[in-house]
Amino acid sequence: MELELETPTTGSTVERISIATQAGPLATFVITPRRMVSSRPLVVLHGISRNARSLVRHFRAEAEHGGRLIVLPHFTASHWPHFQRPGHPARADQALVELLNRLAIRFPDCGGRVDLVGHSGGAQLAHRTAMLYPQRIARLSLVAAGWYCLPDMSMPYPYGLGESNARGAALWIRRKQTGLAAYLGLKIRVYVGSRDTERDPALRVSSALDDLQGRNRHDRARTYVDAVRAAALGHGRVADIALIELPGCGHDFELAITEAGLARMVAETSDMTPALAAAG
Amino acid sequence: MTTAFETQLASAKWTFSTRRVDRTLVAGMDMAFEKARPGDLILAYVSEIGQHRRVQLESGRHSDIYPGDAVILACGARYAPDQFEGLAEILPQSADLLAGGGCIGRMVARNERIKQATRLIPEGRLLRADGAALNLDDFAVRVSARGDRIPVIAVFGTAMNSGKTVATAQLALGLRRAGWRVAALKGTGTGAFGDFNEYRDTGAHVVADFTDAGMVSTYREPLERVRAGINRLLAHAEDAGCEIAVLEIADGLFQRETAQLLADPAFQRRISGLVFACGDAVAAAGGVAEMRRHGVVPDVLTGMLSCSPMASAEALGATGVPVLGKNDLSDPAEANAFALRSGAEWRSAA
Repeated sequence: MELELETPTTGSTVERISIATQAGPLATFVITPRRMVSSRPLVVLHGISRNARSLVRHFRAEAEHGGRLIVLPHFTASHWPHFQRPGHPARADQALVELLNRLAIRFPDCGGRVDLVGHSGGAQLAHRTAMLYPQRIARLSLVAAGWYCLPDMSMPYPYGLGESNARGAALWIRRKQTGLAAYLGLKIRVYVGSRDTERDPALRVSSALDDLQGRNRHDRARTYVDAVRAAALGHGRVADIALIELPGCGHDFELAITEAGLARMVAETSDMTPALAAAG
Repeated sequence: MTTAFETQLASAKWTFSTRRVDRTLVAGMDMAFEKARPGDLILAYVSEIGQHRRVQLESGRHSDIYPGDAVILACGARYAPDQFEGLAEILPQSADLLAGGGCIGRMVARNERIKQATRLIPEGRLLRADGAALNLDDFAVRVSARGDRIPVIAVFGTAMNSGKTVATAQLALGLRRAGWRVAALKGTGTGAFGDFNEYRDTGAHVVADFTDAGMVSTYREPLERVRAGINRLLAHAEDAGCEIAVLEIADGLFQRETAQLLADPAFQRRISGLVFACGDAVAAAGGVAEMRRHGVVPDVLTGMLSCSPMASAEALGATGVPVLGKNDLSDPAEANAFALRSGAEWRSAA
């Protein structure tokens, strides 16, 4: 474990840690508040801009405010050209789980259930990882994923859990089906900007995806929430999922943090945030 | 105990199967070999080198053996189609080294491709101060748990060397990587450190075999004793806080104890997952049919079969059971699915 300590300028401490994992080396920032209050660490996954270092700035105050450990993995382009979707090219899920196992040596709470937040590509990784290892997650916050693995058979894998010719599909479908009941029991919050309707070049587009998940991130978030609710009912339970629209926000994570208070929403240990209450 | 006897014991090569023995309890020796029971500790001298040119020491390394070497072993039977069949019987004039892990007995059958057993001359049966024979059972791991809670994924196979140990170790590795506190256990067979060390190398939190339950070999032991031994190992895993166990059952489905366990409703109820290792598609089809005859179906097939995509496809087509390679088993996502299916309860990353 390589460790780089940032000189504390506020109450919290930021460390940059690098660990070797079976899936490849993974760097991570760990924000330790001066006084630890919450026992549940928060793990924040960046999107394709890989802005983990910038996110540290935004989440440092949240670590202090909530008195909780915040972990921000950094999937560097050199080691992780693909990180959004566990599969043949990369196994960011493995690296993430191994990171938590390793951090648990120093911070035992990392060995329990953690709150997991992901933005855009990070939200893709977050929900797919939670489907594979649902027992390790307490609350899952998905911010503006480009597309989802729907928890049903309506679309072929990797867009859903239907049969597919994709490489290793049968294996991945079986793994996710195994954890599905537990996944549908998680507390899930889906955030999306009210103006996150652009079909930018980073957005995966196909006629099937457009038809079945929606034409943009905003619509796809709504589709996903509905799909989780329906799948949970199919398992005889009511999903604890909510869609939270961020007024006036587009796709930029940092802007959503500074303008809509998103970091506070996802870091809040109580679910009764004003935004959630308004979400309905 | 005389100084000469103490010296004799101290200079002897204590084999792996005697690793739990408290040597301070050895007070004497007799030559009542006709009374030897499975597990009794025997001091013997190497007389003629045959198949086994070395023994496995309790320290976990091999030791070459030479005629005249003193060795401490346990009396036991052995069933190994690739090598010997042997009984837990010791004749005063001569005995056979049935397994390098430290099993002495009488060879009754031999695979024609291997040499005669290494011959031993038994010197004596080790005794306690009260005159009772020292037996491995006296040193079985002490447990307080009942062993009836921990989920168990059992690994069966078509035969020796079908891939069971690799499957057990790799699944234990995957579970450990996924954060589970895992026990890698060998429920039946003959004591040896090969499998034991392979399990240990995975970082499994508890590694144990039937020797830890007081048996040098499970061959010809009554089903109740074999089952009690497995239960003791599971209790040991529970005592150590393990959340899931992977349990290898030795040899092929038709081997005496393996067949008894497979057909045993109590054992069937006790396991929460089943892996079947086989060498080819025909073996897979036959093995799965035999398992179905007993009312169980493996969750996955693995073993040498999985090295060939064509053989894997044939096996899947013939059985409907998916085939996983060793890299799949050690994949934390796959192993986690095993744990979730088996009802393992997550406490905290181990």
